[in-house]
Amino acid sequence: MSIFTTRPWTRWAVPAAAVALVAAGSVAVSSTATADPTLPPMTPSELLVAVQQARPAGLSGTVVQTSDLGLPALTLPGMGAGRGSAELSGTITGTHTWRVWLAGPSKARLALLGQGGESDIVRDGKDVWVWASSSKEATHYLVPEGMAHPTSLGDLGALPVTPAEATDKLLAMLDPSTEVTVPGTTTVAGRAAYQLVLTPRATESLVASVRLAVDAETKVPLRVQVMSTRIPTPAIEVGFTAVDFGVPDAQTFAFTPPAGTTVTEGQTPLTGEKPADKGVNSMVPGELPGKTTGPGAGLASAKPKLVGTGWATVVIVKGEPRTTSAPEDPTTGPGKSARPDAVSSMLAQLPATSGTWGTGRVLEGTIFTAVLADDGRVAFGAVPADRLYAALASAS
Amino acid sequence: MSVAEGVQQRSEPAYRPKPFSTRLFRSEMALIGGRRRNQMGLLVLAAMPIIMAVATKLTASDRRRGGDLMSSMMSNGLFVPLAAFLVEMTMFLPLAIAMLSGDSIAGEANLGTLRYLLTVPVSRTRLLAVKFASLCAGALWGVLVVAVPGAIVGIALFGFGPMPTLSGTTLGGAEAIGRLVLVCLYLTAGLSALAAVGLFISTLTEQPIGAAVAVMISTIVSWILVGVPQLSWLHPWLLVNHWMAFEDFVRDPIAWDAPLAGLRLFALYAVVFWTLAWARFAGKDVTS
Repeated sequence: MSIFTTRPWTRWAVPAAAVALVAAGSVAVSSTATADPTLPPMTPSELLVAVQQARPAGLSGTVVQTSDLGLPALTLPGMGAGRGSAELSGTITGTHTWRVWLAGPSKARLALLGQGGESDIVRDGKDVWVWASSSKEATHYLVPEGMAHPTSLGDLGALPVTPAEATDKLLAMLDPSTEVTVPGTTTVAGRAAYQLVLTPRATESLVASVRLAVDAETKVPLRVQVMSTRIPTPAIEVGFTAVDFGVPDAQTFAFTPPAGTTVTEGQTPLTGEKPADKGVNSMVPGELPGKTTGPGAGLASAKPKLVGTGWATVVIVKGEPRTTSAPEDPTTGPGKSARPDAVSSMLAQLPATSGTWGTGRVLEGTIFTAVLADDGRVAFGAVPADRLYAALASAS
Repeated sequence: MSVAEGVQQRSEPAYRPKPFSTRLFRSEMALIGGRRRNQMGLLVLAAMPIIMAVATKLTASDRRRGGDLMSSMMSNGLFVPLAAFLVEMTMFLPLAIAMLSGDSIAGEANLGTLRYLLTVPVSRTRLLAVKFASLCAGALWGVLVVAVPGAIVGIALFGFGPMPTLSGTTLGGAEAIGRLVLVCLYLTAGLSALAAVGLFISTLTEQPIGAAVAVMISTIVSWILVGVPQLSWLHPWLLVNHWMAFEDFVRDPIAWDAPLAGLRLFALYAVVFWTLAWARFAGKDVTS
């Protein structure tokens, strides 16, 4: 008969071959995925202009967001890896999967996939719905007329100049602090893309670079990576794992709260308020989770003091002096007291530090550092801790 | 070379079997369905969704917590089988597959029926193929035994209407049933992959209990590994990690990424472990 009958041990080669085939296949896929495609060269200015003018008629895709900020574990025990909670507030750390749909300037839908749940943000014209499956709550917002549509990156078109001039202006503004280059190409979600890299000139910055992958064909940004000087993998990565530039079905954006849903009319927080100016500092996620509800609840109203410039800026906020015991806010109900407690117990776990500026606790993340001084001051920035100490000492 | 294959080769010219016959498969299914322990197992599987639905009906009068599969039971009867899958996929259904697949070869060897089975003009490869096919059918059977009574009891208790999805949209009745069918097929595929592992282990031993315990241990260890975030590189290669992706069929539109990745892994497991079983079984001397 065959060799399998005369030499039965040769049969073991079949499962071995199957495993080898799959291993080779996955290696081949990952190597073609990392191979840099050849694209016509573009200058940073040309690329930024193209990004601004990119108006995809529609797209749908899957976005995976990974953060390694070096924060102490805030996730609840028993949460499976891979897919976290479906709560929008839980996306600060860990890996999260989003589904994204866009059609034209006024239709968009974002879905955060969680273990056994989902949170959705749906915009269809003037209506914006925020849905949370875990609480079965839907909140409805109305977008005021004349709101700039969110699909254009950086609304520089509002300035009375051409996009090219605006871009040149922006680059000139960035130049003293940041080097903007297009060093090469990459592949994201199976599509050829240009890499736009912003490198801080400040050597003390914890941010090594910010890398933006721009789709070569449509000029839509496909991935953002924030690289840290402390870890080899990106500290923040948000990118498509699959993307399709077809216009999604209009039904995707229709949202009617299902029966039994708690529906709230949201107060539109968008009226008359443009999104915060995206300065360098806003890239630093220096806001501690639960800061406004935690110890020193008056922080948000205090005017921050800036020390240094560019990427090495240190922000100092004055708050109330910290007490060692967890302050129980009398205005919050008994059900809400768990969160400030969790925050204060988390803060208590941070390493203590002291210097000429005083004493406090230090939180050293991968791309930012925060010092919570016992006198109530909070300093943070994308710099190592000693820079913060120096800033605190000079500011006192 | 074993006695059995010698017999088979000699009888080949004399007897020409039909190119395709379902007789062996039907006999396998009759064996699986006729065993009292399997019938009791099916009863336990079917009881779970009924107990869950009744308990929810009795206790959850005003308590509405969470919109996950479990607490959505109140809103639509079709969520009862889904919530039951959430519970049963961790333990009961894999246990049922472990028992069935562990029994498939080792059980025959233990009873001394394997050598008689091999004296009929059926090649060992075909025997393994039929064994695996019957295990897949057994997996479907187990899944349906959860889904159908669960759906009937659920609809009776909580009604049947537009089904809310995790995405906050609602599905019509026919589409909702279609989603439930997809979930059933997906879980059948996932359990069939486990059955392939069990079939291989079953060829290694003559103790069906030993094989079943080994399959169950592999499942439990996988669940533990899935809970260890440091081993996240391993998770895509574990069967159990993909089973719970059935919830992606209850999103709108269906999030195919995770179920497709699951189906690819299930197919890989089925191919690798079936061929492993085939490699082992071909050279095995059947003495009992």
